[in-house]
Amino acid sequence: MSERKQTTDDRNENSQRTTGEYDGLRNGRSGHETGTEGRREREGGDGRARATGDALVEINELRKIYDPDGAHVTAVEDLDLDIGDNEFVTVLGPSGCGKSTLMECIAGYLEPTEGEVLVNGDPVAGPDPSRGVVFQSNRLFPWKTIGQNARFGPQMRNAVDDDRIQQLLDDTGLTGFEDSYPHELSGGMQQRAELVRLLANDPDIMLMDEPFSGLDAMTKELMQEMLLDIWEEEDRTVLFITHDVAEAIFLADRVVVMTARPGQIKDVIDVDIGRPRDSSVLTSEAFNEYQERASDLIHDEAERAMEQKQQETQEA
Amino acid sequence: MDAARLAKRGISIASILVVWFVVSAVGPETLPGPIAVATTFAEYVVDPVYWSAVGLSTARVLGTFVLAVLIGVPLGLLIGWNVVFGDFTYPALELIRPIPPIAWIPFGILVLPTLAFSLGFANFEVQTTVVFITFLGAFFPILLNGIEGVRGIDDEYSRAAHSLGAADWQTFRHVIYPGALPSVHTGMVVGMGLAWVNLVAAEMISGGGLGFMTWSAYTGGSYPVIFVGMITIGVLGYLSSTIVRYVGASQLPWMESAAA
Amino acid sequence: MSTRERVLGVDRRRLLGREVPLPPRGVRWAISVIGFLVFWWAAVQFGFLNFGLFVSPIATLTALVGYLAGEPVAGGTQSIYVHAAYSTYRVVAGVGLAALTAIPLGLVIGISAKAGAGIDWDSYLYPGLESLRPIPPVAWVPASILLFPIVPVLGFSVNTAVLFVVFIGAFFPILVNTVEGVRNLDDEFRRAAQSLGASNRQVFRHVIFPAALPSILTGLSLGIGLGWITVVAAEIIAGNYGLGYITYQAYRLLATDVIAVGMVVIGTLGYASSAFVARLADYATPWSDIETTG
Repeated sequence: MSERKQTTDDRNENSQRTTGEYDGLRNGRSGHETGTEGRREREGGDGRARATGDALVEINELRKIYDPDGAHVTAVEDLDLDIGDNEFVTVLGPSGCGKSTLMECIAGYLEPTEGEVLVNGDPVAGPDPSRGVVFQSNRLFPWKTIGQNARFGPQMRNAVDDDRIQQLLDDTGLTGFEDSYPHELSGGMQQRAELVRLLANDPDIMLMDEPFSGLDAMTKELMQEMLLDIWEEEDRTVLFITHDVAEAIFLADRVVVMTARPGQIKDVIDVDIGRPRDSSVLTSEAFNEYQERASDLIHDEAERAMEQKQQETQEA
Repeated sequence: MDAARLAKRGISIASILVVWFVVSAVGPETLPGPIAVATTFAEYVVDPVYWSAVGLSTARVLGTFVLAVLIGVPLGLLIGWNVVFGDFTYPALELIRPIPPIAWIPFGILVLPTLAFSLGFANFEVQTTVVFITFLGAFFPILLNGIEGVRGIDDEYSRAAHSLGAADWQTFRHVIYPGALPSVHTGMVVGMGLAWVNLVAAEMISGGGLGFMTWSAYTGGSYPVIFVGMITIGVLGYLSSTIVRYVGASQLPWMESAAA
Repeated sequence: MSTRERVLGVDRRRLLGREVPLPPRGVRWAISVIGFLVFWWAAVQFGFLNFGLFVSPIATLTALVGYLAGEPVAGGTQSIYVHAAYSTYRVVAGVGLAALTAIPLGLVIGISAKAGAGIDWDSYLYPGLESLRPIPPVAWVPASILLFPIVPVLGFSVNTAVLFVVFIGAFFPILVNTVEGVRNLDDEFRRAAQSLGASNRQVFRHVIFPAALPSILTGLSLGIGLGWITVVAAEIIAGNYGLGYITYQAYRLLATDVIAVGMVVIGTLGYASSAFVARLADYATPWSDIETTG
């Protein structure tokens, strides 16, 4: 615990040192100060993670089995989850627990083996621009400039809105880098550019698979704050996958904690911390309590996941 | 590069000439020395017969290389992109691939005709055997690298494009094609080299161009011409590879290595 | 957990825009191969171009069986095994000689390029060798016939001209890949070994050589491939035995079945030697994920 606390303090300091650089991002934030109240959810008596109001995404008894060469691995089992409109949900779980599988089913890359994934009441039938995805490793197209990457989605429909793209590039501090290729930018800038590419498409849902896991601690925190700013400014639903406990709590309305494989929902934590949030939240009493609770939940699962991994390696 | 290094490199290349000179001086009488070859070269450079051989070989390589690119690149990209299409086409190609193009020469001479046609201002004769052998040399590296290039693209790029709203053909145009280009380019460089290797063999056996000039120099006993031929082929091969390399690099500004 | 290929296959099929019932992969492969044979058969049957002069797949198979049973080929007295043995021996000897010279040379050049101290072999040797590289190995054939005689050794005729051409063909790919293998080694591995107490000799033995090995084997694989290309060319032009020689003799005698059989045998042996090098590479560098198959 003490080590974790140390990290948190470090981050806080770091952010104070560097936020100046990104002040531009924070200006003109309108936000919904008490907006979280309306979409607070509760946990149903059947253990089903329910959102009040309209569920944008409904996942019913999802099961996904991988069967390459008869390996028969159950990645996700009996998973029920609803995500409300404009809700920020983080999925917290140990590595290899099926978090990404869950996301890929919502994105439409994978077909569920059993169960269903409904968005706006319709079953998911493949990838769609209304469900934007940010990948773990940066997936800006390396052969396109930052400007071309940002324009990509609208360009596919011949509906490029240059003003909006310029606005997004300004907001994320990427103005002047339109003609650079991705490999010429730092990791943080690449991640911001990928976010711009996604937002230019104006998706209803943003599916983010550990998008900040490759960044250093300082950059990561700045990116988290920027993401919250963007989310609060334009109403959007976010499903954010992570294995970082602090990140999960800092960002979320609701943290869905998953078990080791086969991935099931272990518990759901409602994060009752007011918005807008900034890094000062990280040192608050409430935050620490949430963090302790989540860490307790995830610890056993992480151990189990590690044992599974070791066993697989030995068998291979 | 500093002067000392440049000098050392100069010494390196000069020493090849020195070794050649010494070997020809003390060695077999049939081996012409650098001076004899240089003299012959000077005579050949002003001889139209030499230039027509250069022109014919260059035109053959250029023409077949373009043909190999036009067929090999789309085919490779399609095989790599579409598993089903690949299953139906690739095994048959894989059956032919291990046979060195040169081993096709007897078959080619026998089966493939010589095309004669006229374009008004001049009459042309295309020995399809030589074209076919040269084509095989360039085609397979381009094809294989096209396939590998597509398979090497992480699938998440296609997924990203689909999620951003790209249709299938748009994914092909914006992800598969540009993503495979570096590998295709490597294939073109290799293919250009193998085009020359196979062209020379085909020309030696079935006639025309620099390959035949070199071979008939041997059978006719004018030995310095053998070396004139070798050097010319070497220079042309080097030039064409360099051109392919540079054109490719200029088309791939996004590669980290190209930027460095 | 490698699920990628399966997912890909499924995605692609759906991306085609229609759900067609497809035969399993093995059947698709078989259709491809059979289609090729039918195409060949039809070209001969209906005399496409001058295919009428050529043999059909069935006649090729019959001839192949006969020659594999030991019938003499192309008007000579030797069986196809003798010619195959000659070609194989020439590839093995030529590529072997090339490996024995190119690998040490490549290591010396590569190491001196990195070390920045001692004799600058990189500058002294590489440009000279590089200046010879663009000359295609086949272009060496007339010169090597001129310079290298046929030497009788223990009752066998050793065609040193053909050997030399194969040697040249394999030498440069092996050299270039060895040099690149050493050059591409991250310096921090060397530093790590030195910090752990390794001497220069030990750094070479435990770091430089194993790190360059995958690249060296790639070069060897390319070298064998070029070895087969050049041996056929050299035998056609300058040979007295060998598979290249008999296919060309067969053309002169219009024994078209031998041309086809020769091509099949050359292809098979070429394929087998590539597979052998790939296997060798897997065995020698189990830690490497570089594909040496090609």
